[in-house]
Amino acid sequence: MTTRARRRRGDPALGAIAAVALGLYALFIIVPVIMSAWKSFTDENPLMAQAKFVGLANYREMTHDSTLAASLGFTLALAAGVTVVANAAGIGFAVLLNKTSLSFRMMRTVAFLPQVLSGVIVGFVWRYIMAEDGILNHLLTGLGIISRPISWLGTPDLAMFSVGVVAAWVLTGFTTVVHLAALQSIPLEMYQAARVDGAGRWQQFRHITFRMLAPGTTISVTISLITMLKLYDIIAALTGGGPAFATQSTALYIINLAFTDDRFGYASAVAMLLLVVSAVIALSVTSLLRRREVDL
Amino acid sequence: MTVLTTQQRRSAPPAAPAPGARRRPWASRGHLIAAAMLTLAFVSPIYLTIVNAFKSQSQILGNPVAPPAPPTMANLTDALARPDRIVQIGLANSAVTVIASLLLIVPLGAAFSFWLTGRSARLRRIVLAVFGAGLMIPPAVVLLPTIRILTFLHLDHSYPGLVLANVGGGYLSFAVFVYSGFLRAVPTEIVEAASMDGAGSLRIWWKIVMPLLRPATATVTIFLSLWIWNDFMNPQFILGPLKGQTITTGLYQSLGQYSTNYAQLFGVMFLAAVIPVAGYLALQKQFIAGLTSGATK
Repeated sequence: MTTRARRRRGDPALGAIAAVALGLYALFIIVPVIMSAWKSFTDENPLMAQAKFVGLANYREMTHDSTLAASLGFTLALAAGVTVVANAAGIGFAVLLNKTSLSFRMMRTVAFLPQVLSGVIVGFVWRYIMAEDGILNHLLTGLGIISRPISWLGTPDLAMFSVGVVAAWVLTGFTTVVHLAALQSIPLEMYQAARVDGAGRWQQFRHITFRMLAPGTTISVTISLITMLKLYDIIAALTGGGPAFATQSTALYIINLAFTDDRFGYASAVAMLLLVVSAVIALSVTSLLRRREVDL
Repeated sequence: MTVLTTQQRRSAPPAAPAPGARRRPWASRGHLIAAAMLTLAFVSPIYLTIVNAFKSQSQILGNPVAPPAPPTMANLTDALARPDRIVQIGLANSAVTVIASLLLIVPLGAAFSFWLTGRSARLRRIVLAVFGAGLMIPPAVVLLPTIRILTFLHLDHSYPGLVLANVGGGYLSFAVFVYSGFLRAVPTEIVEAASMDGAGSLRIWWKIVMPLLRPATATVTIFLSLWIWNDFMNPQFILGPLKGQTITTGLYQSLGQYSTNYAQLFGVMFLAAVIPVAGYLALQKQFIAGLTSGATK
């Protein structure tokens, strides 16, 4: 180990490639984060010649920005709701599809397909389905479940719900596959032993399947949360953030502040807030779930 | 050689039959029907995209759920006959962007991860934590400064700029994570023996480590191809509206024009989706293996 380390340290060629990788990462992740942090204390605006240092003014403005509060509230509710729904559905789907015959293998392949489509396509397909004269309303009125078409994307509360449904649909493809993999690692003897002890199917699921899935669930929940906290493309294509900014995620708000309102300084401050919120949520949820793995 | 066989054995665990596999046949048929119906309902939006791509506007409005009878190719030929050639140009631009990004990310990520194995455990932990942040940072947070940096380099609104931002951004983090995970399974003796023979580190990396990392390279290539192909935010804002577009941004623009012409809409969407979906179906075994090996590590 030490000889290897010393030898390789003495050889500059590999180190040079590594330096390029580190340099590019620094240039496009680390430097931009530092620049965002710096700009968040300025009133930078591309239409003005010179940006001034404004101290905490942007952060003070954030405290009484109701659009920001709404976008953050929507983003957090979306992240929490979609993560729970997509992972519950993923666990259910994985248990249902956990067989190895050809038809089940085909179903598993197909269940991942929503993840393969771009968010823009997903957004537009569902916009067509959920339109007022779309398939969903035709289906529901045809079955007599509703008497007149519902404006799934046109009313603020329903549109927020609809974005959640679409995002959960996409993520379920991912959570299903992760949980299917975790299911494969559960030893069959555990079920046999449980049956000998007289455990019913629900008890087997609760005490064996659900617990043994914990490591897969940790990964799946963390990635679901991170994905939802940055969600942009599906919303851009599905609702564009409307109606009346009801479905404007914080990522969408940052983009609109920067590119529509030209408020780079304030957009940077909101970006810093999203960064801190994402980091706190991702790190605390991961450590919480890791501890749960041990406790179970 | 022994390494490879153990790795193969590890990557293909014996398929475990489902719990309660020896149930009565009617119960298992019920299970199959329930699973099939749920799966079909789940993928019905994809079914709609496919069938409606081959139907006329009146067929779509009349019965959007019905299969195309008779199927028409008009939507696809119309989309390809557009004077702005948005589909052809978009597909070509996406392919170039994906290939150029991967040609840089794969060697950089692999060499960097290999270089990292020779560092102290503490440095390794710190560097991996810093790269881990790259997977977590929302792209909207770094987008504005990224454009500023590209403007400074005179690469804004250009494909080299987009590729460079792809390489340096979160995608490199993903490559470093996958490669570092796989490198943990490569025994140090192989590298040591080669370096005793006097091979330089670059040679060892290219001749010995890269072939051992082939499964990791497959995972990185498959996932990054899909993500970069489907990416919307970077191409939309780094390329800007005027200088050509990838298939995703081109799709977004043309869909605005087609908001009521569903036949055209589904034609373009089908053409935009067919390459990633075909690629996934062809490589789905490696895809799922990569996903699960990354997820359980």
